[in-house]
Amino acid sequence: MTTPSIRDLLYEPPGPGSRRRIRIFTGIALLLLLMLLFLILRQFALTGQFAPRYWSFFTRITTWRFLGVGLLTTLESALTGSAIAFLLGFLLMRGKLRRNPLLNSISAVLTQFTRGVPTLLFIYFFFLVVPQSGIKLSAFWKITLPCAVSACGVVAEALRSGVNAVPKGQTEAALSLGLTETRLFYKVVFPQAIRFVIPSLLAELVIVLKDTTFAYIVTCADLMQNAKVLISNYDAMLSVYLVVTVIYILINFLLNKLSDRLAARMHQPPADKNQTKAPHPSDKY
Amino acid sequence: MSISALLSQYGDRYLTALFTTWKLTALSFLGAFLIGILITVIRVCPIKPLRISGDFYVQIFRNIPGACLLILLVYALPYLKLTFPYDTCVLIATTLIPSAFCSEHLMSGMNTISPGQIEAARALGLTFPQMIRRIIIPQALRSSVLPMTNLLVATMLTTSLASQVPMRPMELTGLVSYINTHATGGVTAFAISAALYCATALVIGLIGSLIDRKVRILR
Repeated sequence: MTTPSIRDLLYEPPGPGSRRRIRIFTGIALLLLLMLLFLILRQFALTGQFAPRYWSFFTRITTWRFLGVGLLTTLESALTGSAIAFLLGFLLMRGKLRRNPLLNSISAVLTQFTRGVPTLLFIYFFFLVVPQSGIKLSAFWKITLPCAVSACGVVAEALRSGVNAVPKGQTEAALSLGLTETRLFYKVVFPQAIRFVIPSLLAELVIVLKDTTFAYIVTCADLMQNAKVLISNYDAMLSVYLVVTVIYILINFLLNKLSDRLAARMHQPPADKNQTKAPHPSDKY
Repeated sequence: MSISALLSQYGDRYLTALFTTWKLTALSFLGAFLIGILITVIRVCPIKPLRISGDFYVQIFRNIPGACLLILLVYALPYLKLTFPYDTCVLIATTLIPSAFCSEHLMSGMNTISPGQIEAARALGLTFPQMIRRIIIPQALRSSVLPMTNLLVATMLTTSLASQVPMRPMELTGLVSYINTHATGGVTAFAISAALYCATALVIGLIGSLIDRKVRILR
């Protein structure tokens, strides 16, 4: 954790007695954690999962190149999906902020709908139903489109809270200067709103990236799918899935860290009290 | 297939699926909530290794894709001689992932407590466990009702993971893919499941904002 938090305020500098107690408990905790680690490693050893045939192929460059190609597809899918989700979310947000009641309710319903339905259901929809109607999609789009649709409602909400966080005075000033509503939105409100929601958009990218792991359903050759190929080649289920999972976790961790960093930087100049609360990023994980 | 034909053929299956989704959601959320509180206490306690492992836990399960976790549990763990039935694996996955987010929400709920309160509690001579139980947790809970509502909805969406393993009875997503691979349920089959998901999310959201209005601390 980079930001100073309540956990640093909870206790005063401990005295000699509590320092000793903390030391004892630290020792016990360390011991328990080491024991847990030992148990896990022992289980690996007992079941022979440390055998070189499960791990040696990771020293070959071709293995990593193969996984890298899959990872590129994963990233491509996640980025494309996020871009589409952004566009759709933008449209929904615009619709929701318009004064037209029909447009308003349509966007509200669509936003609710995409937020309340799991990505997997969208994936099965694009996988099973869309081909029935004669539309042929490549595997890449069969995974990218549902992920985008599933994320767009959340993006719309994030964008809307960003727009709402722009101080009202700005709108009033711009209107009194004679800007039209459209110019007001694109020249004044949106540039500030977008800066404000960049952390949530990054968090959104993580969600889309996680959703693309279901690409194996539509047999799109992403990281997961390539991992499956490796597994059938080397008959090494555990090691390959562990490595791939760690790759996913690391990428998502870095993206989330970046998002936190940006959010923290945005809060640092306390110029405007209204802006110190970031919108809650999402309700899909 | 028309909606009446679908409902007459698969109606009770949809009902079972809906209840399965609800049950899975409720169990997972309860587990996630308890684990989340535990992890949060661990993350603020003065014992360094525990703090670090608490952070580690949260980062792992915050960032792991659900599919990866479930596949590891179902297909990879047996290689370690650890085999669980399908529904246990699903329940573990749909509990662990939300638990990390629960802890994150509680941490940010905690950060809304002003340092003055902690100082006052310490001045009154409250011990650390007392402070956690009487000052921190109640306030953190009260100010995180809305995030928790979102968490409950997210948990429900996460339970669709169950469709990736042959779990019986099927939940809403699994049922739809079953119907569509055995017959042509078409759009209607999806629409029914989606409507049930959405209605549940809507009800959860309504109840959440009602509770929030009751318990929120205005600062």
